[in-house]
Amino acid sequence: MTDIRAILQTDLVTEPTRHVLTERLNAPRRQPAFFTADEFALLRAICDRLIPQDDRSDAERVDIAGGIDERLTENKSNGWRYDEMPPDRDAYQLGLRGINQSAELVFGKPFVALSTEQQDSVLKAVQALDSPDSAWQTLPADRFFEELLAEAVENYYSHPLAQAEIDYVGFADAKGWEL
Amino acid sequence: MTYDAVVIGTGAGGAPLLARLAKAGLRVVALEAGKFWKPAQDFATDERAQDKLFWNDERLTAGNDALAFGNNNSGTGVGGSTLHYTAYTPRAQPDDLRIRSEFDVGEDWPIDFTDLEPYYDEVEQFLGVSGPSPYPWGPVRKRGYALGPLPVNKAGRLMEQGCRTLGIRTSPAANAALSASYYQDGVGHRPACINRGFCQAGCRNGAKASMDVTYIPLAMHYGAEIRPECFVTQFRRDASGKISEVIYVRNGQEERLHCKNVFLCAGAIETPRLLLLNGIANSSGQVGRNLMAHTALQIWGEFDDDIQPFKGIPGAVISEDTHRPAQRFGVPTDFVGGYLLQSIGVMPVTYLSQLARGRGLWGADLKRAAAAYNHVAGINILGDCLPYAHNYIELSDEKDSRGLPKPRVYFSNGENEERMTAHADQIMRQIWEAAGARNVWAFPRNAHVIGTCRMGHDPDTSVVNADGRAHDIPNLYISDNSTFPSALSVNPALTIMALALRTADKFLMSERAKE
Ligand SMILES: Cc1cc2nc3c(=O)[nH]c(=O)nc-3n(C[C@H](O)[C@H](O)[C@H](O)COP(=O)(O)OP(=O)(O)OC[C@H]3O[C@@H](n4cnc5c(N)ncnc54)[C@H](O)[C@@H]3O)c2cc1C
Ligand code: SF4
Repeated sequence: MTDIRAILQTDLVTEPTRHVLTERLNAPRRQPAFFTADEFALLRAICDRLIPQDDRSDAERVDIAGGIDERLTENKSNGWRYDEMPPDRDAYQLGLRGINQSAELVFGKPFVALSTEQQDSVLKAVQALDSPDSAWQTLPADRFFEELLAEAVENYYSHPLAQAEIDYVGFADAKGWEL
Repeated sequence: MTYDAVVIGTGAGGAPLLARLAKAGLRVVALEAGKFWKPAQDFATDERAQDKLFWNDERLTAGNDALAFGNNNSGTGVGGSTLHYTAYTPRAQPDDLRIRSEFDVGEDWPIDFTDLEPYYDEVEQFLGVSGPSPYPWGPVRKRGYALGPLPVNKAGRLMEQGCRTLGIRTSPAANAALSASYYQDGVGHRPACINRGFCQAGCRNGAKASMDVTYIPLAMHYGAEIRPECFVTQFRRDASGKISEVIYVRNGQEERLHCKNVFLCAGAIETPRLLLLNGIANSSGQVGRNLMAHTALQIWGEFDDDIQPFKGIPGAVISEDTHRPAQRFGVPTDFVGGYLLQSIGVMPVTYLSQLARGRGLWGADLKRAAAAYNHVAGINILGDCLPYAHNYIELSDEKDSRGLPKPRVYFSNGENEERMTAHADQIMRQIWEAAGARNVWAFPRNAHVIGTCRMGHDPDTSVVNADGRAHDIPNLYISDNSTFPSALSVNPALTIMALALRTADKFLMSERAKE
């Protein structure tokens, strides 16, 4: 795996690039400001299934849920929203509630208390629109899942440690590339 | 003080026109919602940090093939969407402008290829477009490209290889990025492209011909004033119906400019949105209608070779053999119009985000697919799209952070687009198979919003005339992606720029005629 911290210190990386990547590498884990503590714990548990990081120490884990909380706190948009979806803040609150209700209806326990296999089966059902209807009356489950997954993936793979995991070195382009 | 012209928006449609009017000695000012960046200091090789180049005010998107915006569609800043375009600059072919004459559907343009051709030549020379001469498709060119083609990356090589096996001709593509350093009066020197492949997140060294390093410096050289971070909201009209004042918001404060003429170049969503907000120029009822978006299916595959898809100009290779596939291959097709084929490189977050949306992968499956990033290469199409009554933009009841109604955009492909895409899906899979791809997957999408204030001769069915002037308001012109009567089977930016220069020249001629 690429040693990101070492590469960032070299002149292969431009100053603006070094600046943003170092800041992201060193960002502390976030205390939620938009989500309640329970919602945030649930969101973290979901993100851990979408993009597992079991092989990382706590200090090295990419804070995927923290990035979502930060965006929603600032009420920032990525420029578009499916018309059938409520505004992002409402969507996340409804969606988290929906996932928890699905867990309760199928397994009789909240999502965070389930085994990882059970958690995965809840998420699969949400994605495939196979969840119990009653949990998803005001929100299209598949769209919510798509949005959540896309945001989680963007947050994760924007992080230098995740980029190292896939051997991506495109940021070290100060001298350009030979083809 | 009264300006001769206020230009709203500094993208592909605004910047060339601004430079032309300034050169003619007019007193001109550009109002631009976004910032004036200094790429060398402000641009990181990082997709997240470069989100700032996109138009991120929320748009509502509806229909069976709801369009993605943000990084998929439009930019903001001095230079507009050219800050993050891939700089792929094929010309339209003459029959692209004659879709109704040829097929009895869609719309013809009120101008001909010969009206655009001298402007294509001019824009290509000024930007320093790199491309092959001769170019294999379309009418014989009067001038070769300004520079030789850029080096071809791995995705391009694979497309060449696959196409060779199938008997499809390819060529290095025309790209508005410099294969050698380049000098233009009024602009100065720009350095050659260093193959860093981040064109869609901003070029930090000026090799890519975004407007902020080409037509904007030229316009400033001739005395144009640029006002960044000014968001236009209103127009005031005088007793004769002409626009006399443009009102905009800067730092939360309303300001106004007195003007003799207005050039609206805010792009195919914001231009109709502004007109609808102000209730003007819409006696035809066509403002916001006829919205088109190119068919743009992508086919991705994994290869044994180390591809490193972030390297090199992303759109390195082209084929226009599918422009009219029936003519080329002698097999009838079940759709009208045609498309081009293009190899594509990709930045990691963009690719993996598409993978998440397109394939719905997560957990271990996602990790496995992501680990193959360095081995993926893509190929896509850009194809024509017909105008339909069911595709349009309207103002919604929801307000955005500026307190203005969010636009709601409806888009569903018609049968023609679906058939064309199915045809392309087959061909591209064959090409990738011949090139040795594994785990091939398709990402359906549409790209480029087009046609929401169409030009035409008839004021009942179009918003502006062939010169870009609003039928309803004699001192209002539109110059951007919104005036196209048909979508064309090529990427739009070069044609927008050519048309912008033509619109400026037509305006200057009409002013001279008044003297
Ligand atoms: C990722 C990506 C890649 C692309 N690649 C290519 C390519 O390779 N080749 C190609 O031909 N095309 C490409 N395109 C498309 C191309 O960039 C656009 O079609 C083209 O730039 C549109 O030009 P325009 O003048 O219509 O609008 P824009 O270039 O978008 O300019 C509009 C400007 O108006 C400003 N504005 C809007 N509203 C207001 C307001 N109210 N007040 C003040 N200012 C305002 C905006 O901030 C913006 O700067 C690409 C697009 C994307 C998203
Ligand atoms: S590939 Fe060339 S044109 Fe594109 S961003 Fe890099 S240097 Fe600029």
